[in-house]
Amino acid sequence: MIEARALRKVFRVPEKDPGLVGSLRSIVRRRTRDVVAVDGIDLTVAAGERIGFLGPNGAGKTTTLKMLTGLLHPTAGSCQVAGYRPQDRAPDFLRAVTLVMGQKQQLMWDLPATETFLLNRALFDLDRAEWTRTVEELVALLELGPFLNRPVRTLSLGERMRCELAAALLHRPRVLFLDEPTIGLDVEIQATVRRFVRAWNEKHGATVVLTSHDMNDVTALADRIVIIDLGVLRFDGSINELQLRFGTGRRIVVRGDGQALAGLEFTPDGSGGWQRTVLASAVNPVLQEVLRRLPSADVTVADPPLEEVLTRAFGEARQQRSAG
Amino acid sequence: MTAIARALPDLFRVGFAGIVAYRAEMTIWILTATLPLIMLALWNAVAAEGPVAGFDQVEIARYFAATLLVRQLTSVWLVWEMNYEIRSGRLSQKLLKPMHPLIQYAVEMIVSVPFRSVILTPLLAALLLWRPELWKTPAPTAVALFVVSLALAWSINFLVQAVFASFSFWVDKTDGLFGVWFAAWSLLSGYIAPLDTFPDWARQILVLLPFHGMLGLPVEILGSFIAPGDALPQVGLQVFWVVVLATVLAVLWRAGIRRYGAFGA
Repeated sequence: MIEARALRKVFRVPEKDPGLVGSLRSIVRRRTRDVVAVDGIDLTVAAGERIGFLGPNGAGKTTTLKMLTGLLHPTAGSCQVAGYRPQDRAPDFLRAVTLVMGQKQQLMWDLPATETFLLNRALFDLDRAEWTRTVEELVALLELGPFLNRPVRTLSLGERMRCELAAALLHRPRVLFLDEPTIGLDVEIQATVRRFVRAWNEKHGATVVLTSHDMNDVTALADRIVIIDLGVLRFDGSINELQLRFGTGRRIVVRGDGQALAGLEFTPDGSGGWQRTVLASAVNPVLQEVLRRLPSADVTVADPPLEEVLTRAFGEARQQRSAG
Repeated sequence: MTAIARALPDLFRVGFAGIVAYRAEMTIWILTATLPLIMLALWNAVAAEGPVAGFDQVEIARYFAATLLVRQLTSVWLVWEMNYEIRSGRLSQKLLKPMHPLIQYAVEMIVSVPFRSVILTPLLAALLLWRPELWKTPAPTAVALFVVSLALAWSINFLVQAVFASFSFWVDKTDGLFGVWFAAWSLLSGYIAPLDTFPDWARQILVLLPFHGMLGLPVEILGSFIAPGDALPQVGLQVFWVVVLATVLAVLWRAGIRRYGAFGA
């Protein structure tokens, strides 16, 4: 469904020194600098897959998404989405994809969301009966009924985001690009959005490419994780593979008297317990010592949180880059 | 093309809902664009001394009443809208739709015409009640030619602004540049003074430029200042400018969209 080969994007950005002198100098001689946002990415995504596209800020995630949706022309390399070259922006390609950006909206601010739905029916040339069915399905799944006819400006962020998702899916795209769809939403609405995306993927077989900084999004939605940093692909695999590769430690959590753990380098876990992350080979000796001191303690051993694994993955990627 | 035709009723419906949502702002904006009424009063005073460039007081008043109408019906604000959307990245939303963004913009602008007509009708009716001698029934051929010329004037206005706005793909802001064009247009289109007030040699050159086709020509046809037979070649010239500008715009758009940064969106 998605094929990218050596995909690269370089932005030429103007530079100016601060102050009046800098301003005058920039009039006489305009200085620019090339910024490599995406540096030769190879990516293949099969139909119906759900992938989490992760990386720190400025890693090149959104730029990649913009190239895959045809908004940006690649500087080099090639990509194909749903059988089309995105930058040609063929009408059938645009009917096959959608891009939802958590921080940008397509809804018309002073009109009810239904007006945007109507506008999209016209722009996508959708069959009236099919459009009505889709609207009904989306209204039910996203629980839009109570606020559908209110001007968008009067909606809460969560209500707006759900309307945004509906507007983006009216044409039943085969590929969903979701750029931080849960940013700023409360926990309950985040869960609604995640449930919805998952249900839509399972029911319609749509391919989902998701960027997010929220690991709950990733664990709930992504079967596969792709990590990009400084424009380069650093990892491509399942969450388990990611844990194996970057999650070298195991997290031991103890519920019991913290005093008894003195000297074992345990720290509070924020919920009344004590935690320590150790190498897999060190789990047994530490556990034996804990149980010797606290024979009746409640002890759990788990993989470290995904945030920790990703922090390690991003850090390693940056080290590789600076070494290379 | 048929897809566009199918989409138009809904696009108009939604666009009109938008205009209605901003009705107060739009009404004020329309009512503030009353320079032709100021020019009417000014030229009326000048013509009191005797005809100016062949225009007596009634004719000069009819000219500027027609100018008010044509200006309102050919008004577009694309250069500001498109400039903002390119710089802010909002153009992305239009680019993700299977209808060309320029057609989406065109519909957004055209839907204001019925609303403008609603505001203008009582204004012009009051003017005609006050000075009924301003009314001169144009010949049926002139009416038909006026409608065509008005549509072409709207198109030239739209295309000129789209060309200027397209420069935003390369430079930060283009509305300043458009300000220079607007000043030239005000002077040379017949907006401030009929082209007949210019020396004959200048007038002959000015009618060849796009400015006249953006305002002066439909005004002259509506006010019966030009015979339909004489106006026809100039309507042809309007078509010529539409083709030239559409070609320039196509080249700029094609090159510009490759440079589009989609920043912030």
